[in-house]
Amino acid sequence: MKRFFIVLGMLALMLSLSLVNVSAKEVTIQFWHAMGGHNMEVVNSLVDQFNKTHPGIKVEAQMAGTYDDVLSKTQAAVRTKTAPHVIQIFEIGTRVMIDSGIIIPVEDLGKKVARDRSFNWNKWIKPVANYYRMDGKLNSMPFNSSTPLLYYNKTFFKQAGLDPNQPPQTFEDLKKYAEKLTVRDAQGAVTRYGMTLAIYGWFAEQMSYNQDALYVNNNNGRTGRPTKALFNGPALVRFLDLWKAMVDQGTMLNAGAGTAPAQQAFLSGRAAMMFESTAQVNNFENGLKKIGSELGTAYLPLPKGVKRGGVCIGGASLWVTKDHPEEELKATWEFLKWLTLTEQQVYWFENTGYFPTTLSAVEAAKKTRFFTEHPNYATAFQQLLIAKNDYATQGAVMGSFAAVRKTVEDAVEEVLSGKKTTKKALDDAAAKVDKMLAEYNSLYQ
Amino acid sequence: MNGSRINRFFPYLLLLPSFLILLPFLYWPTLQSFIMSVYREAPFGARKFFCGAYNYVNILSDPAYLNSLWRTLLFTALVTGVGLAISLLCAVMLNQKVRGAKLYRTFFFIPYAISPAVAASLWVFLLNPVAGFVNYLLYSLFHIQPPWLTDGFLAFVAVSMASIWKDTGFNILFYLAGLQTIPESVIEAGKIDGASPVQRFFKITVPLLSPTTFYLVVMNLIFAIFENFGIIDIMTAGGPANATNFLIYNLYRDVFINFRPGAAAAQSVILFVLIIGVTIAHFKYNGENVHYQ
Repeated sequence: MKRFFIVLGMLALMLSLSLVNVSAKEVTIQFWHAMGGHNMEVVNSLVDQFNKTHPGIKVEAQMAGTYDDVLSKTQAAVRTKTAPHVIQIFEIGTRVMIDSGIIIPVEDLGKKVARDRSFNWNKWIKPVANYYRMDGKLNSMPFNSSTPLLYYNKTFFKQAGLDPNQPPQTFEDLKKYAEKLTVRDAQGAVTRYGMTLAIYGWFAEQMSYNQDALYVNNNNGRTGRPTKALFNGPALVRFLDLWKAMVDQGTMLNAGAGTAPAQQAFLSGRAAMMFESTAQVNNFENGLKKIGSELGTAYLPLPKGVKRGGVCIGGASLWVTKDHPEEELKATWEFLKWLTLTEQQVYWFENTGYFPTTLSAVEAAKKTRFFTEHPNYATAFQQLLIAKNDYATQGAVMGSFAAVRKTVEDAVEEVLSGKKTTKKALDDAAAKVDKMLAEYNSLYQ
Repeated sequence: MNGSRINRFFPYLLLLPSFLILLPFLYWPTLQSFIMSVYREAPFGARKFFCGAYNYVNILSDPAYLNSLWRTLLFTALVTGVGLAISLLCAVMLNQKVRGAKLYRTFFFIPYAISPAVAASLWVFLLNPVAGFVNYLLYSLFHIQPPWLTDGFLAFVAVSMASIWKDTGFNILFYLAGLQTIPESVIEAGKIDGASPVQRFFKITVPLLSPTTFYLVVMNLIFAIFENFGIIDIMTAGGPANATNFLIYNLYRDVFINFRPGAAAAQSVILFVLIIGVTIAHFKYNGENVHYQ
């Protein structure tokens, strides 16, 4: 009987709470994101601030797991008609989201639903706007943009007799430097690797763009749905050959899949260089301080004689789902618009390591001399700005991108373990990807 | 007359509550998997086509899937066989009347009580190539640092090891219970007839434990095929180069990451048939050799 009353009491409480909500006429916006750890706190404080300054709108931010998790949870939510208003989706989900039929492009949201005439649609820095603009329209709101960088331990450079201000610029240099940085004990076992790298398809994509090579046909899927993989060309072969040679030599630690083990090796001083996302700048600066080392950053190296294309932005953007009352969509627009204001942008990149995505935020950063004081943030940003403006560096978009990335990762593993030659592994992967693309495209014919 | 009718329907009445629960949570989704497996669906369900046996043909002609099937069978056999042998050995030792036996039993059962995600994370820490304890030990003893999770063969071994370790507690518990039902008098008789401890173990203990073993084999098959998903997801994510991409993981990737629900549904039907097949075969051929007291 006692339990019955407890349940009854809880029901009454819930009912009254929901009544309070209705009577306050507050519009609630659900926002699912994939920012964990420190970055989650930054998201939460942004959301708190928005809620404080916007009575009548309540944004509820929820960290829904990894980027993959957010996508799959959204799928489930759409089927039960409980899709959140705003979802943070990684860049490789772009094609799937456009094809999904559940979204409203943010440009339509701003112009048609909210009828916001004052919003400047050219406020983003070019590489960022270029990625998310498809069919002449901005589909999602750029949010957290990053690129890969070469990170290195300046202290280890000094110990190895290398100039800490002259990071390697070519593949050849990278290999030579790694040899010098590798430390072996009396028995010949490696105690410090020259370099480490996670087996992460994103690096393969970026190394391809950096050499101005397309990843898939139809101009990286920008002028039509891609039908054929092009990543088995010379650009990626060169990169995988280098990777394999360094692992075989014992100057590169093969950290396996997932980025955590490689990060751990770098932060614990077991490896002297690595590629990672700019989103790690903050984490690495603090981490290396703990082991008494200083962090250096540089552009991704290129093979000798190959012209630079440039890196393409990674990270994620904010998508809006369309099946909500107009009132809620308008409130969603308020929230997205607010996030692009200079103040929020500056707060975001100074606290995370992601880029400022708007021009005004870049100006603000220059004024406060943020880049001069934080040269590692500057490297990331400059590398993006010197990128050529073409289809290769605009980055690939395709439907089955997550599966494609996994296929390339498998190929890398086959190469490193010596099961296949570089060319064979990439050709086989390309054949598999062609089939995936055909299967995906056939769904939309 | 009236009484017998009540008797006939009474068992069904008692089964009704569980059936009502199983219907929406088990039978209905199973039926849906069957239906879904003959459709192709776009991500977010925007488009859907009937495609007949397309998904099945596609999967069964994919060398990567067949490779995954083969690896799953090997893994299952290894985890079940080696796992049960180790569990029996541990159970026999834990059955000894020594001080603190209850404490030891608890220790052995703990791995089963923790979640697969926690267990796998634990193994990832232990096997970490750089900061892991296992490699630290191997390095200081033999000067080697095996790449546990980045070499295909070693990753397979590592995942099997973790799975066996994880399921041992469950097996030991049942074996202990089984051992305690073996009457002392039978063992005593063996002793008097001059049977050595090894003979007593193989001729008396093992046959008398056959009902337990029979049950555990079925349970371990199910553990190995379905429940070890968490361990694989965290330890290797199916890698390196698909070395630990077992059927259940492949299925998960297809539905949640590759957005191919139809293909995934077909895979779950194949798994369903496989499990039913193995279980029936097990009942038919091994069931006859089970001795119930």
